[in-house]
Amino acid sequence: MTIARLASALLAACALSSAAQAEVTVLGWPGGPEESALREAANAYNAKGDVAEADKVELIFFNRDGFWDKLQTDLAAGSGEFDLNLLATYAIGRYAPFMEPVMLPDTAPQVFGEKVLTTMQFDGAQYGVPTDLSLHFMYFRKDLIDQLLSDPAWQERYKEISAEKLGQAMTPVRPDQWTWNDYQATTLFFTKSVNPDSPTRYGTVLQMKNLLFNIMVWHSTVRSNGGDWMDEEGNITVDSAAFREGLELYKNLYDEGTTPKDSLTYEFAEANAAFGSGQVATMLQWNAAFPDLNDPAKAPTVAGKIGTVAPPAGEAGRFTHIHGLGLGLNKAAQNKEGAVKFLNWLATAEAMQVYAKAGGAPALTAQALQPIAEQRPDLAQLGDYAGQYGFVMNGGASAKALSVYELQAEQFTGYWAGQKSLDEALAATAEGMAGLLKK
Amino acid sequence: MQCALARDGRILVAPLTIFLLAMLGLPLVVDLIYSVSAVEFATILSPEFVGLANYASALSSESFWRAAWFSLRFGLLCATAQVLIGLFLAIFLEPLLARRPWLMAFLMLPMMVAPALVGLMYRLVLHEFVGVVPWFMFTYVGDSPSFLGPDNAFKTLVVVEVLQWTPFALLILYSAYVSIPADVREAAAIDGAGTWRRLVSIDLPLMGPAIGATFFIRFIDSFRVFDNVYTLTGAGAGGSTATMSIWVYEAFFKSGDIGRAVAASMLLLAASWLVLSVVHRLSQRRAGASA
Amino acid sequence: MTALRWIVFAIAVLAMNFPVISTLITSFKSEAEIAGNPSWWIEAPTLANYQGIFAIADRFDILHYLWNSFASSILGAGLSLLLAFPAAYAMVRFETGQKWLLPLVANLRAIPLIVFAIPLYLVYARVGLLDTELGLALILCIVNLPLVLVLLAASLRDLPAELDEAARVDGASTFGLLWRIVLPLATPALATTMVLGFVYAWNEFLFALMLTTRNAVTTTVGASFFFAASGGGVRWGTAAAVMVLSVLPPMVLGLLLYRRIGQSLAAGAVKG
Repeated sequence: MTIARLASALLAACALSSAAQAEVTVLGWPGGPEESALREAANAYNAKGDVAEADKVELIFFNRDGFWDKLQTDLAAGSGEFDLNLLATYAIGRYAPFMEPVMLPDTAPQVFGEKVLTTMQFDGAQYGVPTDLSLHFMYFRKDLIDQLLSDPAWQERYKEISAEKLGQAMTPVRPDQWTWNDYQATTLFFTKSVNPDSPTRYGTVLQMKNLLFNIMVWHSTVRSNGGDWMDEEGNITVDSAAFREGLELYKNLYDEGTTPKDSLTYEFAEANAAFGSGQVATMLQWNAAFPDLNDPAKAPTVAGKIGTVAPPAGEAGRFTHIHGLGLGLNKAAQNKEGAVKFLNWLATAEAMQVYAKAGGAPALTAQALQPIAEQRPDLAQLGDYAGQYGFVMNGGASAKALSVYELQAEQFTGYWAGQKSLDEALAATAEGMAGLLKK
Repeated sequence: MQCALARDGRILVAPLTIFLLAMLGLPLVVDLIYSVSAVEFATILSPEFVGLANYASALSSESFWRAAWFSLRFGLLCATAQVLIGLFLAIFLEPLLARRPWLMAFLMLPMMVAPALVGLMYRLVLHEFVGVVPWFMFTYVGDSPSFLGPDNAFKTLVVVEVLQWTPFALLILYSAYVSIPADVREAAAIDGAGTWRRLVSIDLPLMGPAIGATFFIRFIDSFRVFDNVYTLTGAGAGGSTATMSIWVYEAFFKSGDIGRAVAASMLLLAASWLVLSVVHRLSQRRAGASA
Repeated sequence: MTALRWIVFAIAVLAMNFPVISTLITSFKSEAEIAGNPSWWIEAPTLANYQGIFAIADRFDILHYLWNSFASSILGAGLSLLLAFPAAYAMVRFETGQKWLLPLVANLRAIPLIVFAIPLYLVYARVGLLDTELGLALILCIVNLPLVLVLLAASLRDLPAELDEAARVDGASTFGLLWRIVLPLATPALATTMVLGFVYAWNEFLFALMLTTRNAVTTTVGASFFFAASGGGVRWGTAAAVMVLSVLPPMVLGLLLYRRIGQSLAAGAVKG
């Protein structure tokens, strides 16, 4: 019975391969600069002389798609597969029951600053080391915008298009002074179906897939018009002018064809692919996309031609959604001591400098940033923007925050796709949120 | 002797029975319990009885019915298209395939590919900036539609499913077609029946059971589809491409709505049981009529 | 007319294999060429994508995924044969469970697998089978059982019962008979069924997606990781190369054994 023999041999092999893991296992955020940065940091840590063999760090990654869902089920099942795992501001409330609070070294506030440390706190306890700060930039093609700002023929055309489509003849302004109206006029100008002379096929690329992260990007439009999830008494306030304007803005841009036709299936990677192809003039996108898009080997068409500013302004001013990513301690960790040692090291200036040099985006105090300020000038900008424009929605760090994002993703993409009316989508969102966020 | 044989029979069937009880019976019990309980990941071991609330919540959810309608339409449309195209290819290509059986290998190839990977491949093939189909459309037609946008996603998914699984229909219908005895056809030819007459009055009726079985199998597989839709569009904008299977998956993983997800899957089980017994009844009646 | 048949055949083959052909072509283009030239023509063929897969093996280990697929598929298909073969024999010769067990298993094919996925996930999480090849194989066995049982029962029914009776007269026990007489005769059927079960198991996605995170990730799930393998955008070339490697084993089996697989599928469809 050769099959039976083969089967038992395989069984034995399987048993072997899952045995013997004494090291510290870290589950990181896959597929982005956070991953390469964590890799470098882990290498540096493992190379240190005083790290015991059993405390060396091993990294694991799985797919971004459904990451939080899987993490949730693994944590709830008491999985000891990993000792440290990724945390995010918007997910802390959901995972805190399965995590263990940590005591960071006394020097941590001098590295990160108190404000940044709070992005990893829940109910007053510190749950992790804040390794990255995420916010949104308005990316634009410097070469194209420069020409728009200097070429009279283009400006004339810009005026015509804005008069026809937006009802007012507008003049191009610099991106750091854009309102959402300027952004809209610019995207129309750079869209071939609107302006046949446009050098690009599309004016912008929106990420409109039914996915919670895409809603975070979109939230900057809401807050800039003064919108919030709920007021101070806890009443849901999504059925407001600010939400309507933001939703209609995306819908208009999509219906006018200023963004690729399949935008409703786009997320981070697809949007970057579109922008990187050189066929897109502007993009509202995570700060994390910058290093790769600006790398001539990875994006030869657009590298060196990209400008970044904070998202456009609305009535209430200029805003960007922020959240922190970090690493925290799994309650069911198998090597807690070793894991805490790594966390403590990670909270030092030395570790964060390694991390930043390898492409990570930690928000650091000026003092901690100083030795690498030359290599990463953008990190100073990151800190500035977070301080000046950053916001978190009221309820955005609660236990049900992720479910709220999921709900909005489903309802709002339904509106953008023409599946339901604006009123229906907002009503369903408000009703669902009331259930999720009730005290 | 007879008694000993029956005992041997039970011993031989025992491993399979025990395995099924453990792998399907136990989950079914878990399903039943959770479907009438309020339960979250944090309280997974202490479910709280809530009666039929989960069923009510699933049945009153608009998205549940949309997913059911999506799956039903998808299943019927795909099965019909696959049977029709498969039937045409089986009969039209029979002269080629009879002489060179190895040609069938190339027609069968799509069935060997994981549907999940087919979905991923279409993400590449249909991508506006790197895919060959939009490139072709832009170059030779001047414009390319949004294949995965809200207007076309359903059609695109149907085409993807039909292209991959028509080979299955082709294979079965072809083997049914070639097993029609030659003398039956010759007799009809002598009677002066033309090609069309023969097809309609001899071939198709004789292939009836095979056509029915093919349609049923393809309908079931397309109805419960998950893999290729999940990798290509996911639940889609506003849940517009959520199939039943995707709806249950998302309710469980994304919303953490365990009770509701489990209740919905029990409803799904009941529906499949219903369909099966109807099909069973029909095939029995047919067997009874022809006997 | 023959020419027309050839044309229809060519169109059918091209259309049905379209995604695989396109992906194969893409996998031989450089990343820069993919961005600039989406057509079926390759200007500068390169193996860089295949080398690229192994360059990031510390992050996404394709060999590990392939091994997981291989191990769980062999185990899953083998186990289903092991369970179904004696049961099929008992059903055919002694009519044990023919009334209820055979239809029950055969009808499993019509039930959406997601029904069992959630409770199995919860049970697996308790007993430590989550993210193991064995746990996945047990489920792949279920996935395969309907077809395997129907096919084996059909082929055993075709074996002459006189052989059994002759052996009985010689005093053989049921088990000796099964082992020495029936098994050798049924080997071809077992082999075909094994291949078919292997292909089905290899291509399974839903359970692999739900039940694995790292150790037991199979190639159908692992391939999607490569879509997000770089921060700045999709590495289409690498993803294409991975997909080609992932579909190769079942496709080669399909090409080599198309005749037997075709017969089995047709038989399984009509009898099940």
